[in-house]
Amino acid sequence: MAETMAESYNRESEPTTRTLLRRVLDTADTRTPRRRRSARVSAQKALLETPSSRRLSSPTKMNVRRRSHRARSIGRLAHVHTSGNLEEQTPRTLLKNILLTAPESSIMMPESVVKPVPTPQVVQSSRRESSRGSLELQLPELEPPTTLALGLLAPGRRKQRLRLSVFQQGMDQGLPLSQEPRGNASASSLTSSLNLTFATPLQPQSVQRPGLARRPPTRRAVDVGAFLQDLRDTSLALASPGDSLRTPVATLQMDTVLEDTQPFSQPLVGRSPSVYHSLPCTEAEDAERAVSHRTQSSGPRLQNHNPRKPAQLLAAKAKKVDALAVSFPNNSSAISGEDGVEPLQDGVGEEAEERMEEGLSVSKVMDTTGTQGSVRTEKSKGYREMTEAVEAKEPEGSSGDEDISASTELASSTTEFLQARRPQFLEPAPPPSTAVLSSEPLEPLSTRLPPRARTPGPRPRQDPHKTGLSHYVKLFSFYSKMPMEKAALEMVEKCLDKYFQHLCDDLEVFAAHAGRKTVRPEDLELLMRRQGLVNDQVSLHVLVERHLPLEYRQLLIPCAFSGNSVFPAQ
Amino acid sequence: MAFSTTVSQRKHIKRKAPRGFLKRVFKRQKPHLRLETSGDLLVHLNCLLFVHRLAEESRMNAFESKCGVIKKEHVQAAAKVILKKSRG
Repeated sequence: MAETMAESYNRESEPTTRTLLRRVLDTADTRTPRRRRSARVSAQKALLETPSSRRLSSPTKMNVRRRSHRARSIGRLAHVHTSGNLEEQTPRTLLKNILLTAPESSIMMPESVVKPVPTPQVVQSSRRESSRGSLELQLPELEPPTTLALGLLAPGRRKQRLRLSVFQQGMDQGLPLSQEPRGNASASSLTSSLNLTFATPLQPQSVQRPGLARRPPTRRAVDVGAFLQDLRDTSLALASPGDSLRTPVATLQMDTVLEDTQPFSQPLVGRSPSVYHSLPCTEAEDAERAVSHRTQSSGPRLQNHNPRKPAQLLAAKAKKVDALAVSFPNNSSAISGEDGVEPLQDGVGEEAEERMEEGLSVSKVMDTTGTQGSVRTEKSKGYREMTEAVEAKEPEGSSGDEDISASTELASSTTEFLQARRPQFLEPAPPPSTAVLSSEPLEPLSTRLPPRARTPGPRPRQDPHKTGLSHYVKLFSFYSKMPMEKAALEMVEKCLDKYFQHLCDDLEVFAAHAGRKTVRPEDLELLMRRQGLVNDQVSLHVLVERHLPLEYRQLLIPCAFSGNSVFPAQ
Repeated sequence: MAFSTTVSQRKHIKRKAPRGFLKRVFKRQKPHLRLETSGDLLVHLNCLLFVHRLAEESRMNAFESKCGVIKKEHVQAAAKVILKKSRG
């Protein structure tokens, strides 16, 4: 049987499956001609037995089983066949796959020559199955090569994929689509794919994985406006210090912003009007341009506005708002981070400055359009944003108080810086009404400055204690993994205070018990033991290793070093 | 570190022990006592574990009340339990 199997394998390469299986069939025929007719109906069921029968290796048993399983449905059997055979990966399974996909014209049989004794019946059963399968199959137009069928492991499962590939190939090659049942679909697809391999070498890949098929990229006409808008959006997104990840990159751009506000001012300028007024926007931009032309002498900033203006005009306003809104959540969320605050503060300062000048330019624009009241509110809002360093351009509440407190210092510095700039920015403003406006920006800022100067006064007593506690409070919020209320955080601070009191009392007691006046690590260990943190299973060193960073671990756990020395010394 | 091997980029949790703060607190409470250098770190370890237990307990309380946010009441109830436990 092995010889025939090998023979079959050899044969597969050159002729078709049909000839191969015919050969098998011929060989099988000679053995048991009687079984052929009897077991015709139960061909499919018999195949189910074949794996088990092979194991049993008793032909009689298998026959009995074959008969008993007649009631099973063919379809299910076929499915089971394929699935069961897939796992085994015998020549039988491979050839069965061939059967399922091979054309109908040949009386194909999966190799039944594997097992010595059951092979005769197996051969016949498989033959029957093959004949039945071939009956079920409708003829595809071309013969599939044997190699293809061998590659097919799950023809049923791949029906949809193959159909897709078939469709694609049909579309590409102009082949007619065939409405075939599953086996045919695979077969035809295989065949067509095989044919097409010569034409397009990539097709087999698509047969296997249609998702990986390379389709010609659909090219749409480039929308210049959208393209420029996207450019500006990305530049703004890069400029905004949203992520701490981006802060190194962002800081570079921050520097550029400080000296030369070109990359950011126009989009923001364009956006702010869109936020509040959609209608005057176009007029605003035109007015801006006019104003900027007039105010060219004021500073380098405005000069850089000009080349950007036309590009800016192309963009849709809504997109700006969206991009701005997108950048804002990034900023606000980033600001909430603890260590990211410092780099963020720089970015916040930049943004505050941007908003400041944006607010001012917008104010000028609004003035020209004649909506002073809205401008005032907008500017005051802008100042509020700037001072509080809140990035929500829409009239949303500012982010947490912590953010404000953290960034007030820097915001104050930035406002001072901006104040220096503002006069030169405002002087060339032509309309007399802007004089009114110029007084306005000065006033709110001046009113804001003194309060900020006053606040650092009564702090120094509490602050170091609070900052130390805040370290543990932050750890609390980190360990809890859940959002917390401010009141809850205050509560945590109180708990920590109480805890420290208890701790110190206990340590005093322990040290006094040991007759000492200094608290030693042994006292600490005793305390933790009494607390239940350290017990016989968990030692102090284990806890140290778990929770403390390496540097502290080295200080706490004595470790032997070279030269017969132990650090820390006992 | 066992409990937090990965920290999201947003929250950079400082692993440093506020040693000066701890020493100051101890000195303020017990001026007649002295604290050793490595005792400082063990106090920090103790604080970490206390905070950890407190957070776990608060989280459990919040879960039990089917709340997605930890509230003051949760923390209060948790503090009662944990402070009692860490009485020593």
